[in-house]
Amino acid sequence: MKLFNLSQQHIIPAEEADPVSLAELKEHPEAAYAVALEPDESAEALRPFLAQITLVVLHFPIFRDGRAFTQARSLREYEDYKGEIRVTGHVLPDQAAFLRRCGVDTVVLPDDDDQTEWEAQLKRFTITYQQSIAS
Amino acid sequence: MKQPVGHYAYESRDREFLQERIAEFEDQVKRRLSGALSEEEFKPLRLMNGIYLQVHAYMLRVAIPYGILDSRQLRKLAHVARRYDRGYGHFTTRQNIQFNWISLEDAPAILRDLAEADMHAIQTSGNCIRNITSDEYAGAARDELMDPRVHAEILRQWSTLHPEFTFLPRKFKIAISGSPEDRVAARFHDIGLLARPSENGPLFRVFVGGGLGRTPVVGQELFDSVPEAELLATLEATLRVYNAYGRRDNLYRARIKILVQTIGIEPFREAVKAELAKMDLSHYRLTPERVAAIRARFAAPELHAVDDADAVLAQHQKEDPAFARWMQSNTHPHFDEGYSIATVSLKTPGDIPGDVTAEQMDGLADIAERFAFSELRVTHLQNIVLGHVRKDQLYALWQGLKELNLAAPNIGLAGDIVSCPGLDYCTLANARSLPLARKLGARFGDARLQEEIGALSINISGCINACGHHHAGHIGILGVDKRGSEFYQILLGGQAGDRASIGAILGPALSEDDAVAAIARMIDHYLAHRNEQESFLEMVTRLGKAPFKEVAYETV
Amino acid sequence: MKRLSHLSPNECVLLTAARLLDGRIVWRGRDGQWFDHVAQAACLTAEESEAALEEASTQAARQGVMGVYPVVARKGEPPQPVSMKEHIRAFGPTVHPEFSYVPQSEASS
Repeated sequence: MKLFNLSQQHIIPAEEADPVSLAELKEHPEAAYAVALEPDESAEALRPFLAQITLVVLHFPIFRDGRAFTQARSLREYEDYKGEIRVTGHVLPDQAAFLRRCGVDTVVLPDDDDQTEWEAQLKRFTITYQQSIAS
Repeated sequence: MKQPVGHYAYESRDREFLQERIAEFEDQVKRRLSGALSEEEFKPLRLMNGIYLQVHAYMLRVAIPYGILDSRQLRKLAHVARRYDRGYGHFTTRQNIQFNWISLEDAPAILRDLAEADMHAIQTSGNCIRNITSDEYAGAARDELMDPRVHAEILRQWSTLHPEFTFLPRKFKIAISGSPEDRVAARFHDIGLLARPSENGPLFRVFVGGGLGRTPVVGQELFDSVPEAELLATLEATLRVYNAYGRRDNLYRARIKILVQTIGIEPFREAVKAELAKMDLSHYRLTPERVAAIRARFAAPELHAVDDADAVLAQHQKEDPAFARWMQSNTHPHFDEGYSIATVSLKTPGDIPGDVTAEQMDGLADIAERFAFSELRVTHLQNIVLGHVRKDQLYALWQGLKELNLAAPNIGLAGDIVSCPGLDYCTLANARSLPLARKLGARFGDARLQEEIGALSINISGCINACGHHHAGHIGILGVDKRGSEFYQILLGGQAGDRASIGAILGPALSEDDAVAAIARMIDHYLAHRNEQESFLEMVTRLGKAPFKEVAYETV
Repeated sequence: MKRLSHLSPNECVLLTAARLLDGRIVWRGRDGQWFDHVAQAACLTAEESEAALEEASTQAARQGVMGVYPVVARKGEPPQPVSMKEHIRAFGPTVHPEFSYVPQSEASS
């Protein structure tokens, strides 16, 4: 697996990240710095822990399931979370700009994935019609 | 270039955006053909560019934002019909136009041709915010409180490739009106907005969770008076709740109406308010400057009423009873005494409702240029409205329409049948709807008979997805499949508008010919037993469905 | 869709799909090629159709077609799909005779 960097922020290398679940985080908050949120868990649930969290991993069970967009935007807008947001699962390069604009930094891709499409999609639109977390 | 009347004039950035979007789609088509994208992955991407795979070919659905077209755009649609289709287009109940015989290979070229006239197919399908619909009499009706189209355009732009709301649980339809009379079926939309002016600027009444389809629901009021400044924030908040909590495990339970029904309107409202409380509203504020900037890109028609228009019109009506009958059914009061709103019926008896040939499109474009400031409106009842026609020119307009075979005097009458494409074109359908529409149209085609019957809406859907809005027709017809054969359920008593209600199923489904005969008997029963001045719907409301059921099934 | 195991003696199974490039309906012939016209479709027994369906589905992407599935038809020249939906796919929309895939006399069963 490899990471595609959407935001050009400093990121945590793929092999270093060892996210815990929200339940595990609540149980043992001590040393955790990375957490994986399921699509049906709310960003708000992370509020008590965000001071120590530097990586939130969101999941796409299938690319059509857009809940992670709302989770990511909520983390940035409501929780003022500044750390890395990463997405895993079934994601298409055609979603690159949407992900970045909702505040996602990185996408987990299979090792053999061609990143050219991702690069191309990030540059595709110079015009947008809404304000967003990132342009 | 002169600004178009009635819709937003594109700026260079809007045109650049369309080119970027087309380039993206062209690339997606290439990746599909190379196998880089599977059909499962490609499908939502092509749908968001208006491309379906239908029964015979790909279908392209072109957006007509808030239903407004200018003559140049209609000519472009005629060009697409001729060059890439079979000389036809089909206007739908969502104020769009569909082409039924499209090749995927041609799709990027078609989108480029459309973009030359500032048109696109973005978000006419897919699980995203769809084309924003509005009142076909907007900016013209005498009873209107405010023209909703400037805000419709603001919503069009806001919803275009919205980063957070492009992969929703299901499709999301928004309608907006500025009239006290609800002509947009606001209560049958995911969100319906009714705008009104106040001393402190426009206010919006917001309905949520309405819709037809498998589970017909009348929308409920979410907020009574949202100020203009908070319009976008309120929609954002509503969509955020829906995107997070709408069901994704069952396609048929995924619309916002199911979420609102499941948790109840009060908890839903609290959830939207909780979002609003977390938002920095200044960030989402729709400013008067922004509204003014969009409004500045709309041209208003320069109305110059002539003094003796009424007298000239009266004379024409006196001399030509056929014209007088058309005036009676196909015109609506304009706010300017010297003008009328004219509706062009796309329901010529025996023809397919909503179908228009390329020649008719070009002819309508000519007529719009001659008589109506080059502006046309596509209605959710599959007709075309000319918003501003000088009264003394109505007769010449009508003569022009007669030459195009588009002068049927049947608006709001029995022949004004709404129908989906049905099994002849649609992969979802269980039964054909167009042959039934033609038979009913021919059966009640006589103008005098229609006049006698009076107000009556007949709506036909070929399946439970209800694109023909059968629940909202005074008489609704739903095609069903019974072991490979087509049958038709009849519904009675539905209506859109302020008193929106859902039609009740009359009884067992009938064959096509039996359904036509049953409807004819119900109408005969109405004519024989109505109270004076009582409409068909009023009689149904007064007596209930029992007497109609009795006559409908008397020979079956 | 009529169950393939309940075919009557005068019925057979056709394989159909949509062509990726233009979305047009295609019918599978004896040699595994896809044709525009239902008259060129191979009329298969239920058993034959199972193997053919499997083969056709694996070859679909390479042959530029998608969504392969079986259709029950009455035998004939051309075969007449039983359901109205498949009849319309084979012969064209019923409301536009000019768009019919075959002359109306042939299309009527």
